[in-house]
This record gives sequence, C-alpha cells and structure tokens, in this order.
Amino acid sequence: MAGFPPPGATILGDDAAEKKIDEVGKKKVDYFNLPCPIPFEELQREAIMSLKPELFEGMRFDFTKGLNPKFSLSHSVFMGPMELPSQGAETLKIPTAHYEFGANFIDPKLMLIGRVLTDGRLTARVKCDLTDDLSLKANAQLSNEPNMSHGMINFDYKGKDYRTQLQLGDGSLFGASYIQSITPHLSLGGEVFWAGQHLKSGVGYAARYENDKMVKLACAMHVPFASLLWVATGQVASTGMIAMSYVQKVSEKVSLATDFMYNYLSRDVTASVGYDYILRQARLRGKLDSNGCASAFLEERLNMGLNFVLSAEIDHKKSDYKFGFGLTVG
Amino acid sequence: MASRVALKVGGKGKKSGKGGRGGEGKSRTECLKEWTDWSLHKAKVIAHYGFIPLIIVIGMNSDPKPQLYQLLSPV
Repeated sequence: MAGFPPPGATILGDDAAEKKIDEVGKKKVDYFNLPCPIPFEELQREAIMSLKPELFEGMRFDFTKGLNPKFSLSHSVFMGPMELPSQGAETLKIPTAHYEFGANFIDPKLMLIGRVLTDGRLTARVKCDLTDDLSLKANAQLSNEPNMSHGMINFDYKGKDYRTQLQLGDGSLFGASYIQSITPHLSLGGEVFWAGQHLKSGVGYAARYENDKMVKLACAMHVPFASLLWVATGQVASTGMIAMSYVQKVSEKVSLATDFMYNYLSRDVTASVGYDYILRQARLRGKLDSNGCASAFLEERLNMGLNFVLSAEIDHKKSDYKFGFGLTVG
Repeated sequence: MASRVALKVGGKGKKSGKGGRGGEGKSRTECLKEWTDWSLHKAKVIAHYGFIPLIIVIGMNSDPKPQLYQLLSPV
C-alpha cells in the first residue's frame, strides 16, 4: 500500500502524492501529543449507556418547555409502584405518584439543573467552567427530613494528556482521581477515596483501551472516515470490586456490549450481555444478566419533539415483572 | 461555677488536656463547631428554597429575554 500512489494523485502533483503515501503508510506515534483522556468517572460510559438505560415501572410523562435556547422548564408526572426494601424473598411494592418540576439553564460556561418533587426533595446540579482547564461540578439532594440531605463538590483539572479530579462530599467524604493517556488508544488511571462517616477508604485502578480505525478512500479528494470500533475497560477497587466491560461497534447502527463485575470480598459475580440499536426513528437497548434478569428499553420518535418510551424488565429469580411506558414531549 | 471549678480540679488528675479548657465555659473549638453547624444548616435551607428561583431568575435575564407569561403558559 505504501509503495503505490493512489489513483488520481497525478492530477494534484508530486508533493501531494508523497504526503498521501506517508499518511496511508505507518503513522508514527507522537508521545508528546497524546489526546486528552475521558474523565475517570466516565471510563465505562459506552458500556453504561448501552447496558444501563433508565428502566422504570409505571407511567411517565415528561414535558420540557424551552423559553430560550439556554433556559427551559420541565414538568414530569410519574405514576407507578415504588419498591420497598423487604426482609423476605418477595418484593413489596406500593403505588405512588409524584409531580416533579424542573428548571434548566445550559450555557457553555455554566450549567444549572434543578428538580423539585412534591414532597419537597430537591435535586440540584451545577457545572461551572472556572477557566479553560479547571471546572467545578456540584450536586446535591436536599430534603426536608433531617439527616437525609447529601451534597458533593468536584474540582476537575484538564491537562494536556491527563485529567485530575478532587472530590469533597458531606459526611467527610474525600476523593481524588487521576487518569493519563499512555498511547493514543490506552489510558490508565487511579483513584483514592476516604469516607469518614462510614469509616471506609479505598484505592482503585482503571484502564481503558479504545480502537480507532481510520479508513481513507484513495482518490483525489480523500475522505477520512473514523469510527470507534471497540472499547475495553477494566477497573479494580479496594472495596473488593473488579469491573470489566467491552463494547464493540458492529456497524453504524448496532453495538454490542458486555460487562463483568466481581466482588472478591463477598464473592459476588454478575455478568451481563446487551445490545444497542440506534436506528433513525428509534433506539432499542436490551440486556441479559447472570442474575436471571432480562430487560429492554425502547425510545421511539413519533414526531418532532414527541418521543414514546417503553421499558420492560423480568427478574426470573425473584419473579418480579416490571413494565413502564411513557411519553416525552420537547 | 463552683461545680465547674471542682470538675476542673478533679479532671486535671485524669485528663490534663481537657481539664484546662473546662473552666472557660464553652471552649473555642465547641464554639467553632456550633457556628459551622449553624451556618451549614442555614446554607442548606437557603439552597433548598432558593436554588430553583435562582435558576429562573438567571434564565429570565439571559438573552433573548423571554416574556413572563411564557413561564406559566404551556405553549
């Protein structure tokens, strides 16, 4: 491939042909110009997006009204059973209904998202870019009941080919993480955390490998086509958890994912396999678990701004069946 | 105060560190802790009631400025 000039290159001239041969041939890795890695907490984001959709049970109706390209209000109604933790083998469900009001302000530099429920619980998320490289994220869940409020604040610093994060939470939670690009495809990271209230501390390590394939059509105007073909991640934490995931993009519309979680302290193993079909008018995600759980999630675009959502989950071990449907407007 | 003095004398025999501060009434660290607890509690209440109105105020003042009726009408 490297020896032959691409057809049609003679029209452009010898210099352009030489450059093309260099590009089509082996690309030398510039270790001082590595890309910035994915943030540590989003390491397994492809697997999480495919395998863990927001399954729900009952009826859901979301209405988002945009007053501005940056500012929007959302109203959300939910009616369905809520699971209660029960001692016995069977699951206890009580019917609930709630209305949630939300306001979003999304700016490139500042993002504010707030949601409040009818029982007074507030979920707040703030993301602010203090400078080009330093950003502040905060999220909090406040409620009227005493001792049920939590908050967390993160400081993220993005370097040339690394990212660091400092995390402070209530209940004297302290965490720090660091991730570095080793090659253009591989990034390694570690985290350390200390939870004062629960007297737990831990160290974790993670690795992420992603494969990028560049295919160039050999013609006078070459069109580069890049796609993330597959991603493999692995994570170990001293709380005893090992998590590995692998996502393969089979085609433009289909990607398959698999996930493996092993807790070596409590000898708990969970493996799951799932698919993600991204079609023109719909997105279908399905998953099968080693705990005997099969689930599926469908989002279909009926019209511009009108989405229909179906969610189903069957837990064969506990004989628990969940079905949810909803409509999202705006 | 007499009881506190008696406690201080008795305390010194057992724990010298804490016995010395017992005589001052509320110690500085306890004051600081109470003050941080009070301010955290107030901050939580302010955040709880004021966060959504803050987003609405910031949103209504951003460009292009939306009208007030758009807040309430469903269209």
